[in-house]
Amino acid sequence: MKWSRAHTVAAGIGLIALTNTVALLGVLYNRSGEASAVLRLTQREVPMSWVSYDNRENSGISLRFDRRPYDREPDWFDKAKLEALGFDTSVSAFDTRSEERYDKQLPREVLLVLEQDGPAYRRELELAKENSEREEAKAASRPGDERLRENARRAREVLEKERNESSRLFVVDAGLDPAALRAKYPDAARYAIVRGQVRPARVYMSQKLYGVVEGLSVSEINVPFAMRGVVGTAPQDGDVERRNQLPFDATVAFGRRLEPWIVSAAKK
Amino acid sequence: MTPSSRAEAQQRADEMRLFRSELDRLEREGVLKLSEDQRRAVADHQRGLLAAYAQAFDIDRDAQAKQLSLGMRVASFLGALALAASAFFLFYQFWGRFYTEAQAGILITAALGTLVATFAIQARDPTGYFTKLAAMVAFACFVLNIVMLGQIFNITPSDKALLPWAALALLLAYACDLRLLLAAGILCLIAFVSARTGTWSGMYWLHFGERPENFFPAAVGLFFVPQLLDHRKFHGFPAIYRVFGLLTFFLPMLILANWGRFSYLDFERNIVEGFYQVLGFASTAGIIWLGARRHWPEVVNTGLVFFVIFLYTKFYDWWWEIMPKYLFFFVVGLTAVLLLAIFKRLRAGALATGAKPK
Repeated sequence: MKWSRAHTVAAGIGLIALTNTVALLGVLYNRSGEASAVLRLTQREVPMSWVSYDNRENSGISLRFDRRPYDREPDWFDKAKLEALGFDTSVSAFDTRSEERYDKQLPREVLLVLEQDGPAYRRELELAKENSEREEAKAASRPGDERLRENARRAREVLEKERNESSRLFVVDAGLDPAALRAKYPDAARYAIVRGQVRPARVYMSQKLYGVVEGLSVSEINVPFAMRGVVGTAPQDGDVERRNQLPFDATVAFGRRLEPWIVSAAKK
Repeated sequence: MTPSSRAEAQQRADEMRLFRSELDRLEREGVLKLSEDQRRAVADHQRGLLAAYAQAFDIDRDAQAKQLSLGMRVASFLGALALAASAFFLFYQFWGRFYTEAQAGILITAALGTLVATFAIQARDPTGYFTKLAAMVAFACFVLNIVMLGQIFNITPSDKALLPWAALALLLAYACDLRLLLAAGILCLIAFVSARTGTWSGMYWLHFGERPENFFPAAVGLFFVPQLLDHRKFHGFPAIYRVFGLLTFFLPMLILANWGRFSYLDFERNIVEGFYQVLGFASTAGIIWLGARRHWPEVVNTGLVFFVIFLYTKFYDWWWEIMPKYLFFFVVGLTAVLLLAIFKRLRAGALATGAKPK
């Protein structure tokens, strides 16, 4: 049989059709059956993605997961956890060649546990509250001290932000076995298992080896056209004030392939 | 023999033009004299061939047409890139205003429609310039199709998407004889093989570029593709495979020769850098030898360029700080003279053995 142009066209069409079929079947599989988790999130946990100047022509809107903690290493992500995730921690993290040894270990994709409005958030809130009370007490003990009064005001602001604005979505664990993680965190309305990347890091001051969450494999969720009115228009890059102008509730499901989608969204 | 591609027909037409020119010269110098009948027979034969080639392949019949063709090639290359970008941004501008079903439908229809349009244009375009434009748009639409499906349905990014992209680019390249699409397909293959190589060490696939050694298996594979597959009908394709193979081999090696910390090798940085410097010199020299022996000019030239880069980066490391600048550049210049002398000898040796290209 001679290979003709018709064969080539058929092969091309077949290739495009097959690729789309595989991708869409994957989506169907992910969304079929019972979701692995369904979280009720707000603009605090899934603010709208900023639109950079170069990307201003993009008419799509997406929400990004604002996961925490982002200001320090998580307590649970220690050397033992790194080992369990497949990182080599057999060599000292603080000798002359350790920088090269640990830098060479590039991020791995693992399973992460996201906790919504759970103990991790309550602990952060408690810490902010304790800090505010401590600073207030210091300021009250020396009423004329301007610096202490300023510290107390800042601590109050941090507490207010923690209470009303900050994300309550925390990465609280990591593993390789989804069933084991689900058994450990059975509440599917509070804990979602997702894919993300982690890597080892070192703290020189405390000579401590720990793990860092680099990012989520799916870090943004597309907002379908029907729900655009709920979340508003995308803010420009760095427009911090505007991103919280439209408060909303979004129910986000995580499917069998741990990929998320917005089930429903409503203005508050 | 009937040419099977435009490149072959063009080569034959060029040879006819050279033949006529040389024949005129020989006649003026009195070396050869064709009879009027012979002259007419040759002219008629060549005219007929050129007319047939022009009709079938739209070849350049003379030097002026060839110069214009070069301009058209540049224009079609730039146009292909611009139209591909235009298709991409057109969708980006409006996709958010459609329902999900419409978004997916538009993406799939655009990919299929531009593919069919490419082959429809190819049937009416013997020059190939417009086919190249259409093929590049078809490829861009397919890439956009898969990327946007991922974005619309929040699919986890995967290196597997590179495989169908490579397959479509190669299909278009071979079906329409397009080197631009061949390069696009090769780049997708390089990314896929290198990402797979990277994941063997456990890394997340998107970080494969951070370990240059990940590119070596793809480089070796690409270099030997023309040896494994018959490319006689595809003028210039073997050279593209070999050049991409060499670039994929020598660029990572150049990085490792200067920044050993990016290597998988668990040794001191200077040992790793020294190892790749030696390997760089040895492999570029070996490639130049192989290219000269097999009459692959693109291999010789690529090997030579990297040999010189390896050499000059070492000169910089050794002497830039300690030498006065005039002396440094004088040494660099002397090295160039030395290289010229060596290659002159090699060229003379090749001529003396009377080697002929394969």
